[in-house]
Amino acid sequence: MWAAFRGLFAAIAADRAAALLLFVSPVIYAGFYPSAYTDEVVTRAPVVLVDLDRTAASRNLIVRVDAVQQAEIVASLPSAGEAELWMADGRAVAALIVPAGFGEEIARGNPGTVLLTGHGAYLLRASSALGGIGAALGQTGRDAAREQARAAGPPAPPALSLVARPLFNTREGYGAAVFPGVAFVIIHQSLLLGLTLLAGTARERMGADVHITGSQLAGIALAAGVIGLLDVGWFVGLVFWWHDYPRAAAPLADVAIAAILFVAATVAAALALASMFRTRERPLQLVLPISLPLFFLGGLSWPSEATPPVLAALARLFPTSPGLELMVGLNQMGGSLTDYWPAALNLAVLALVFGIIATRRWVPRLDR
Amino acid sequence: MTQRAGFKASFVRECRFMARSPWDLALLTWIPLLLCGVIAWQLSGGVVRDLPVLLIVQDDSAISRDLAIRIEAAPGLTLAGQVSDLATAERLVRSHKAHAALLVPRETAERALMGQAPVILYFNASYPAAAATIQREVAAVVDAANMRLAAEQTAAIAPQGSVRPAPVRAVTVMAWNAPGSQEFQLVSLLHPALLHLIFMLAVVSAFGRELRDRSIGDWAPDLAALAGKAAPYLAVFMGWALLAILWLAGVRGWHFAGSPIVLLAGYAAMYLAYLGVSLLFVGATRTLSQSLSMTGLFAGASFAFAGAIFPLEQASAFARVWGNALPYTHFARLLARTWIAQGHGMALVGPLLAMLGIALVTAGPGAVLYLRAARDPGSWGRR
Repeated sequence: MWAAFRGLFAAIAADRAAALLLFVSPVIYAGFYPSAYTDEVVTRAPVVLVDLDRTAASRNLIVRVDAVQQAEIVASLPSAGEAELWMADGRAVAALIVPAGFGEEIARGNPGTVLLTGHGAYLLRASSALGGIGAALGQTGRDAAREQARAAGPPAPPALSLVARPLFNTREGYGAAVFPGVAFVIIHQSLLLGLTLLAGTARERMGADVHITGSQLAGIALAAGVIGLLDVGWFVGLVFWWHDYPRAAAPLADVAIAAILFVAATVAAALALASMFRTRERPLQLVLPISLPLFFLGGLSWPSEATPPVLAALARLFPTSPGLELMVGLNQMGGSLTDYWPAALNLAVLALVFGIIATRRWVPRLDR
Repeated sequence: MTQRAGFKASFVRECRFMARSPWDLALLTWIPLLLCGVIAWQLSGGVVRDLPVLLIVQDDSAISRDLAIRIEAAPGLTLAGQVSDLATAERLVRSHKAHAALLVPRETAERALMGQAPVILYFNASYPAAAATIQREVAAVVDAANMRLAAEQTAAIAPQGSVRPAPVRAVTVMAWNAPGSQEFQLVSLLHPALLHLIFMLAVVSAFGRELRDRSIGDWAPDLAALAGKAAPYLAVFMGWALLAILWLAGVRGWHFAGSPIVLLAGYAAMYLAYLGVSLLFVGATRTLSQSLSMTGLFAGASFAFAGAIFPLEQASAFARVWGNALPYTHFARLLARTWIAQGHGMALVGPLLAMLGIALVTAGPGAVLYLRAARDPGSWGRR
């Protein structure tokens, strides 16, 4: 068994493509991927302005909106049609339109209405910008209320006021929300690609019916498991810490057990899949494109409640879906393993089933 | 052999190879269908519905009962239950029984009479997609509750004339995507994201395979032969592009604001750009496995760097340069300007030119390097 354990490391060291996939890519991706998300929250999204009112009230409103951190007024345009053209050409993600008569309505004690238009292709940016502008409108509203109060007395405040507080990922950054899930897809794909490439190469050289003993398979699995756990340690311990992503919310022992379950299921799946390939390069062609669907099936960017139930059930056959749930949960949301027992059990069952498949495929009946 | 005959011979040779190799054929047929199909299926709900929300009731009053009913009635929300403290709620959120909890503190009913009684929404920020919907829907629920309270309760005790709507009101609309559908936004982007990656894997395999299997000697390509070999891939993936558009615009009924012809031209320009990069990778490394690994790095993370969901302008300098080097980034810009909205002039020509520019800059040296490798038997057979 230990010979096979050392053998896997020797095989990786001797194969540049395998070393690239198993050792180098987790390092590259750790620096490469989060660089897309460095700013975390939307600031200064380009917004165009159409002021058809041109009164003190509208100017007051514009001054407030100009100070909003999420939005930056890039142009002041004469008509709503012009604003639409700017958005259609991708020069702005939202428009603020102040209709004529806005100031007069406020002076009369009626509500003044403004029109906020977001670009439907840039939902996140548009809603962040509009959210910021909405808050600024509240400010203007208070000023306007003082004006109105001279005529009609102070307005009654709304009965309830909603305060929103984020749980767990308290910075609410988009990198902090996406990358801690992406990291486990990266680990999964790195192990899957590296191991299937090595197996494909071995079967190509030694014939498709190459067999190993049970203890050899155990040694290979153990070595791959060590690599997987080092990957988890690298991302959770160093990369998340470096980027200041939420981490280490749960007790270390629980995170360690969860990591072992995730890596075990991934290695077992990789070894089972590896027994199907007979050409060295084939796994790269076929396994690379599944990363994006795997991430979306993980439920972070599209809630599993909104996923068709049959598809959500099928997604549980891949280690990434329960793995993301468990690792993101323990790392960010805290609690203990018992809070996430369905995901943990899911991973254990996958490890067992893929382990049995891998054994049946790799080990001849006599040596089991 | 004339150029035309050379093109045709390579075209036929590639099609014959495909017919004999089911796994290479899979990259053109059922793999794009399966992966694009899974994405389309997953997001076919369009708008998120029935996200479970808890109510933490510390004030058992008409207000909390009213909020409970309104949460249950909101299309995006469903009431996951009522609990009495935050710790229980947090535990239920961890175990995915709920995505958020709305706390109605003690004495809310009394404070509401004075106005601005806080109700606190704790939402799971680790799941951003669900969190965004919940915040929007709960805000609407509280607004509606306020309207009713203003009419029934506050009006009875407040001075006359003081109960009136907020002085500044905003009407918010999403242009070209009125329901703010994530299906429209995400699927229209995810399909080309998958297609360009699979296209590049298939093309890199096609060119790399000839060097690996030393079959390039018999093939002895020139420029026309390279074009003939790439042509079947371009044709098939243009077909997938057309199907992806037909799915969203035809079957799912999402409005096409601009011109489908311009978008298809964008697809063609994008594929040409990735074809150029493929030739460059294979020509430079002369090794199929390395070229495929580089493809994973170059085309596998396009979605994150395209600036389509998260703004690229705010990312690091490296990400901005990298993102603009990816043909997909320009394609995503074109898509927003000719499918979702109807842009004009340079707004459309700019992304097209950028993609054709990348195609030219990479295909030129790529073809030179590849044809040089084709004449150098010493570089064949590398793994």
